[in-house]
Amino acid sequence: MKYDALVVGSGIGGMESALKLGDMGYKVLVVEKESSVGGKMILLSKVFPTLDCASCISTPKMAATIHHPNIDVLTYAEVEGIRSDGNGGYHATIRQKPRFVDEAACTGCRQCEMACSVAVPDEFNAGMVSRRAAYIAFPQVVPKKAVIERAGVSPCIFNCPAGIKPHGYVALVRSGEYDKAFDLVLETTPLVGSLGRACYAPCEDECTRGELEGPLPIRRLKRFIADARYGRDDAPPVEKPEPNGKKVAVVGSGPAGLTAAWQLARKGYSVKIFEAAPKPGGMLRLAIPAYRLPNDVVDNDVANVTAIGVEIATDTRVDDIAALKNGGFDAVLVATGTHKAVQLRVPGEDLDGVHSALDFLRAVKLGETVDLAGKRVLVVGGGNVAIDAARTARRLGAASVDQASLECCEEMPAHDFEVEEARAEGITLHDGWGIDHFTGEDRVHGAELRVCTCVFNPEGRFHPEYDESQRMSLECEVVVVAAGMSADTDAFGLETNGNRTLRADPDTLQTAAPHIFVAGDVVTGPTMITTAVGQGRRAAFMIDRYLHGAELDRAAFDEALPVVDKGDVLGRQDVYDRREPLESAAAMSAAPTDFGETEGPMSEVEALDGAARCLDCGVCSECHACLDACPADAIKFDMQGEEIEAEVGSVILATGFKLFPADAKPQYGYGRFKNVITGMQMDRLLAPTRPYNAVLRPGDGKVPDNIAYIMCTGSRDETVENPLCSRICCMYSVKQNQLIMGALPLADVTVYYIDIRAVGKGYDEFYEQARGMGANFVKGRVSGVTETDNGNLVLRYEDIENGGSLTEAEHDLVVLAVGVQPNADAQLLFADGELALDDYYYVGEADEDLNPGQTNLPGVFVAGSASGVKDIPDSILHAGAAVAQAAAHLEKAKVKVPA
Amino acid sequence: MSGRRIGVYVCQCGGNIGDYVDVDKVVATIEHEPDVVVARSAMFTCSDATQQEIVQDAEEQKLDGLVVASCSPKLHTYTFRDVAKRAGINPFQYTQVNVREQCSWTHTDDHEGATEKATRLVRAGINRTRLTEPLEPIVVETTPKSLVVGGGIAGLRAALGLAEIGLSVFLVEKEPRLGGWVASFGAMYPHGRNGAELVAKLEEAVRANPAITVFTNAEVMSKSGSFGNYQVTIAVHGERLETITVDVGSIVVATGFETYEPAAGEFGYGIDGVVTLPQFKKMVDGSAGPLTYNGRPVKTIAYVYCVGSRQSKDVEGGHTYCSRYCCTAAVHAALEVAAKADLSVRQYHLYRDMRTYGKYELLWNESREKGSLYLRVPDDEPPAVEKIASGGLKVTTRDLLTGGEEVAIPADLVVLVTGMVPRENDELVSVLKLPIGIDGFFNEIHPKLRPVETIVDGVYICGACQSPKNSAESVTSGLAAVTQSGAILKRGFAELDPMVAMVDTDACTWCDKCLEACPYAAIEQVDEDGKAVASVIRTACKGCGGCVPVCPTDAVDLQGYTDAQVKAMIDGLLEVTCS
Repeated sequence: MKYDALVVGSGIGGMESALKLGDMGYKVLVVEKESSVGGKMILLSKVFPTLDCASCISTPKMAATIHHPNIDVLTYAEVEGIRSDGNGGYHATIRQKPRFVDEAACTGCRQCEMACSVAVPDEFNAGMVSRRAAYIAFPQVVPKKAVIERAGVSPCIFNCPAGIKPHGYVALVRSGEYDKAFDLVLETTPLVGSLGRACYAPCEDECTRGELEGPLPIRRLKRFIADARYGRDDAPPVEKPEPNGKKVAVVGSGPAGLTAAWQLARKGYSVKIFEAAPKPGGMLRLAIPAYRLPNDVVDNDVANVTAIGVEIATDTRVDDIAALKNGGFDAVLVATGTHKAVQLRVPGEDLDGVHSALDFLRAVKLGETVDLAGKRVLVVGGGNVAIDAARTARRLGAASVDQASLECCEEMPAHDFEVEEARAEGITLHDGWGIDHFTGEDRVHGAELRVCTCVFNPEGRFHPEYDESQRMSLECEVVVVAAGMSADTDAFGLETNGNRTLRADPDTLQTAAPHIFVAGDVVTGPTMITTAVGQGRRAAFMIDRYLHGAELDRAAFDEALPVVDKGDVLGRQDVYDRREPLESAAAMSAAPTDFGETEGPMSEVEALDGAARCLDCGVCSECHACLDACPADAIKFDMQGEEIEAEVGSVILATGFKLFPADAKPQYGYGRFKNVITGMQMDRLLAPTRPYNAVLRPGDGKVPDNIAYIMCTGSRDETVENPLCSRICCMYSVKQNQLIMGALPLADVTVYYIDIRAVGKGYDEFYEQARGMGANFVKGRVSGVTETDNGNLVLRYEDIENGGSLTEAEHDLVVLAVGVQPNADAQLLFADGELALDDYYYVGEADEDLNPGQTNLPGVFVAGSASGVKDIPDSILHAGAAVAQAAAHLEKAKVKVPA
Repeated sequence: MSGRRIGVYVCQCGGNIGDYVDVDKVVATIEHEPDVVVARSAMFTCSDATQQEIVQDAEEQKLDGLVVASCSPKLHTYTFRDVAKRAGINPFQYTQVNVREQCSWTHTDDHEGATEKATRLVRAGINRTRLTEPLEPIVVETTPKSLVVGGGIAGLRAALGLAEIGLSVFLVEKEPRLGGWVASFGAMYPHGRNGAELVAKLEEAVRANPAITVFTNAEVMSKSGSFGNYQVTIAVHGERLETITVDVGSIVVATGFETYEPAAGEFGYGIDGVVTLPQFKKMVDGSAGPLTYNGRPVKTIAYVYCVGSRQSKDVEGGHTYCSRYCCTAAVHAALEVAAKADLSVRQYHLYRDMRTYGKYELLWNESREKGSLYLRVPDDEPPAVEKIASGGLKVTTRDLLTGGEEVAIPADLVVLVTGMVPRENDELVSVLKLPIGIDGFFNEIHPKLRPVETIVDGVYICGACQSPKNSAESVTSGLAAVTQSGAILKRGFAELDPMVAMVDTDACTWCDKCLEACPYAAIEQVDEDGKAVASVIRTACKGCGGCVPVCPTDAVDLQGYTDAQVKAMIDGLLEVTCS
C-alpha cells in the first residue's frame, strides 16, 4: 500500500491532520488502535468555553474522516514499526488486530453485545459501568462495527484435552442460560452428564481462581447443566442435519467413539457404531462404578447420540476392520479402548477367587450378582481402577477391604481425593507393598507381600525392586487385580505398536489404510475420559476432511489463541473479593452399602455462586452466544491478525496523551473511597451518553449536593515526577462546574486550586461566568482526603485567602482534576532512540519557534498533545502546522523525483 | 400528494432532545404527512450507523427528499448533504430542522409544548422539502495564489509555508520593514531563541523564494470577486502611490496586536521608573550586563501582573480577557535579569493567578529558584504604586500567601505586566468584512474546531490578531492558515452553494432596489434583448435573501428558499396537530 501520509492516531489532532491532507489531494492512511476514530474528545460531555456538545461537533469530523475519498482508515490496528526508506519516505508495518467480527458483514445491530455472557469494566465510561466482551464501544463509534475482546484462551479451555469451553458454559450458567450452557458442551461431546460426574477436571487444576480461595467447581457446574437438561420433560429435541450421503463405521462406543460419531452425525454423515458389549458407553458404562457415574446418566448421554440418528449395534464384535469397507462404509474409526486386563504374573494368580478389576467392575455395572457378603477382599493396584474396585467391594458387603499398592501413597496414580475417599469408606491401604504370590489350594485364601523399594527404573520404565526381608501375609477370600489395561487389537489386522496400541499419525489419527482412523485409548493407551473425547473430536474432524478430499491439515484442528497469563488476569484489578472456599460435595459414609452417588447435585444457588467466581480470564468466554445471535453471520472466531506494510511519504504522529492515574496520589483516596472520582469520570457522568443517566455519586447512588474539585491532581507535583502544568484541567473543571450547576441547581461546587489557568480565547470570561453562577473557588492545595461513615469525604487544606490556617471541609463527592501524562507509545514506533523525545517524554519538537510540529526526523511530524498537552483549539492549530509542513515535505519530494 | 418520497429522521441527540421532546410522538404524528415514506427516530442521527441507515432507506424506498430534525444547521448541514449524496438524493433536496437549539434547549420546562413545537418545525421542513428542486453546486476554478496581510512572524511563516506547498504568495506589510513585534525582541521563551534572529532567518527565506512577492509600506485597498477567486487591490506607498491588483484564492490575515498602554496614573504609570512589559523587555534585551535605569543599577524590581487584562466587567472599555502570554513573558524577563546580573537583584512579582501553562511551568519554577519572590494579590485589591520621598518607588499590597499580610516593597523599577490589545484596523476590517469578537480581536468561525477560519470563505486569521498568543503559537496558527488555504486551493476548484438568488427577467423592471440591498455586490445590471434587467453574479451571491423582499415586482427569488417554499413552511408551522 502506498500513501502520501500516515497519520498515527485519530483523535482530534489525527482527524484534522488526515482531513486537511485529504482535502489537499494527498492519499492518507489513518491507523487507530481503538475500534473507533474520535480519540478522547468524543467521550467528553461538552467543551469549553462554548459548551458545544462534544459528540455533536466530533461526529461530523469522525464521519468525514471515514468517508473522505482520499483517506483510508484502519481501526483496531496498531503501527508496529516505522523505518526510513532512505529516500525521504517511510515504511510502516501495521498490525490489524482481529475484531473477530467480519467488518463488512457487521451491521452494528448490537445483538452480539446483548447476547454476550461476559461483563468487563467499560473503559469508555471510565470504568463506572461494565460493557460486554462483544461490544460496540460507545453509541457514536465510527465505524459502527462490533469487536469481540479476546485476551487469549482462558486456562480452563486451554487445559481441556476434549476441547470443551469451560469458561463458556460457566459464563452461561452465570447468566442463567443453563440450556445454552448444555448446548455449548454438546458442540464438543454428547457426554455432558458423564463428564459432569466422572471427569478428573484438568480445567480446575489451571483455574486462575485457584490462586485465590480455590478453583471454580467447573466439573460440578457441568453436572448441574446436565441434571437440568436431563431432568426436563420438555427438553428440546436434537436437531438432525441434512444427510450428506456418506457412511462412517465406528468400532467401539466409549467416549472417543461416541464423540466421533456425534460430531460426524452433526455434519450429516450416516454413522453406525459397533459395540461388542451388551450396553454402549465403554468404560463409562462398564467400569466406572455407579456411585460415581450412574447408568442412567450414561444412558442419557448415549441417547443424545442415537437421537441424532447414529445407529448403535451392541453385542457386535468386529474383528475384521478391513471388511467394513464392503459394508458400504466410506471411512472407519477404530475406538475400541483398552479392555484387556494386564496380569500380575505372580504365582497363584490363576487360583479361584482372583479376578481382574475390569471383569469385576463390569459384572457389577451390568447388574450381575456378585456376592461378597462376609468375605475379605484384597484389591491389588494403586490406580483409579483399583480404588473403584475396592470401593465397589465395600458396597457389596465385603467384611474387609484391603488394598495393596506398589507405589507409596504420594506416588499412587490414583488421585489424592480418591485415596482419601477410599480411606473414609474404611478401606485399609497398604502402600509400598507388592504381591509376592497368592496362597491357597484351589481357591485363594491369602497373599504374601513384600516391600517395594522402587517402582520405576531411572529411565522411567516399570521395573519394581523389592526388599525381600520385609514381608507380610494377608488373608482373604477374594482378590481383585487392577494392574493395568491394554488394547485388544490382535484380531484387527492393523499395524500396532509394541504395547498393542494401534499405529497411526498422532496428529491426523489416520492409519496406513487411508480410510481407517483410530482414536482414544486404543491409540494412546489408558488415559482420561476427556483425552478420549478430544481424540474422538480430532478423528471426526480428520475423517470429515478426508471424505471431502481436503488435506489433513494438522494445524487447522482447534487452532487457538495463546493462553492468557494468569498474572495478567489477576493484575487487571487491584482487588478481588476473596470468597469462602467451596465445600466438597461428596458425602462420605464409613460403611457404604449402596451404589447411590456419593456426590450430591448442585443447587441452583450453589451453581450461580460457583459460576459467579469466574474471573473471565480470556475476557471472551467462547460461549458462542454471539454466534447464535448475530443475524449477519459476522462473528468469526478464527479470524487472524494481519500484518500490513505501507509505504508512506510522510508521517504524522497524533498519538495523544494519557490521563494521570489518580491512585498514584494515594492521599486523595481514589480507588479506596468510592465517592472520589476523576475529572474524566465526571465528564462521563455529564455526557449525553452518561452511564447512570444522571449525576450520581458511585458509592451509593445519592445525588451529590456538595461537590469538591481538587485541582492539579498529578500536575505541578514533583512527588509524582510531573512538574508540568496539565493545562486542560482548570478549564474542564470550570466547564463541569457550569454543567453541574445546570444539572443539579441545588448543588454546591467548591474548587480547591493553586492558580486558575484560563488562558485561551474566552476562557477567563468563562471562568468568571462560573464564579458568577456560584462556583466557590478556594485557593489552597488539598493535603489529604478521609472518608466518613456515610461515604462523605473530609478534605484537609490550607485556606490561603483566609489567613492560611489548616482547615477541613466535608463534601459528598470529590472530583480529582487529573492531569496529563505523555503517551510514550510514539517512541516505540521507531528504532530505539531514533525519535527524539523532550525531557518529559513527549515527542520532541526540533524547532518549536519556527517549525512547530517538526520532529528530529525529516518527514515525521507531530500533531496535538503528543508533543505536550494542548486543548482542542491548540490541537487543531498544531495539526494544521504539522500538515503544512508535511505537505511541504511531500511537495519537495515531488520536485526531487520527476514523474 | 406531490408524488415525492421523503424520509424524515428525528434525533434524540442522546438526552439533548429526547429528554424534553417526545421524539417518538413527533415521529408518530408526522409519519402520516403526505409524501413521507420513511419516518424514524434515532439516538444520534449524525452517527455513522444512522447515516448508513438513511442511505439504506433511500435505496430501498427510493427517497428523493430528506428531512433531518436534530440540531442547528450550523453543525450538520454538510454532514447530511454528504449523506444525501451517498444516498443518491440531491443534497439540496434535504432540509435541516433545528429541534435542539431552537426547541428542546429553549423549552426544558415544557415537554408537551416542546413536542408540539418540534412537530410543527418538522412539518415545516417536510413542506419545504416537498417543493425542492435538484440543484448542483456552482463549481469555480480556484486561483492557486494567496495573499498574506501582515509581515510579522506569523505572516512571514505563513507566506513561506504557502510557497512551500506550491502556492504563489503576495505578502503585504504596512510598515517599511518586515518582522513585526518579534523583530524587536531578544531572547524569547521558552527556548531562549533571539526574536530578531528568527525573523531575519524567515525574512531571508521569504525574500529568496521566487513564489513570494513582498510589498512593504503597503495596504490592502479593496477586495472583489468570490470564494477561490478574489481580486485584491494593494496600495504601495513609496515616492509615489502605486496600486497593484492581484488575483488570489485565499487571504491570510496576520495583522498582529497592540500592547496595552496604561492610562496615566494607572498603577503609577507616568511616574519615572514605572514601565510596561514591552518597555522593560527592550531594556533587558538591550543590556549586556546588570540592568541599569537612568544610569543607576537596578537592585529591586516589582512586577505588577494583569495590567490591562482580566479587568472587571464594570471598567468602562475594560479588557476582561486574559492576555495569555504575559505571565510567562514576565517570568522569562525576570530570568533574563537574573542571568545577566548576580542573583542579588530582588524581584517581586505581584500576581493574581500565575498562568505559566503547560511546559512553561518549568520557567516559573526556575525563576523561583533564581530568587524571584511571588506575592499573590487579592483580585479586588490592586496594588498601589507610588513615588516615595527618597526618590524611589513603593508598591503596597496584601500578600495572600503569607496570611494576607500588608507588604510595602521599595523598588527601583516597577514593571507593569501589560497584555495584548486588538489593533485598530478599521479599513482592513471593512475591506475584508472581517468579523470582530466582543474582545475586539478578529473572530474565527468556531473557536473550538475552526480557529483560523472566518465566516468569509477563504479569508483566514492567524497570530495575535485572533487572540493573544506568544511567538511560537502565532507561527503555529500561521501554518494552520497555510493548511486551510491548501485545503481549498490545492484541488484547483471549489464548489459553492447553489442556493443563490435568481431573477425572473420578464418581471424585472431594473429599479436597482436589489442592488442597493445586496451586501455582497452580487447584483449587476445587464441588458437582455434591449431591456435593462438585474442579474445575479452567482459566485458572489451568498444566498442571504436580502434582495427578495425589496423587489417591487417579485422578480427575485432565492433558490432553495423560494417564496413558495417559505409560504409552505409557514403553513406547516400553523397547521394544528390533531392527536
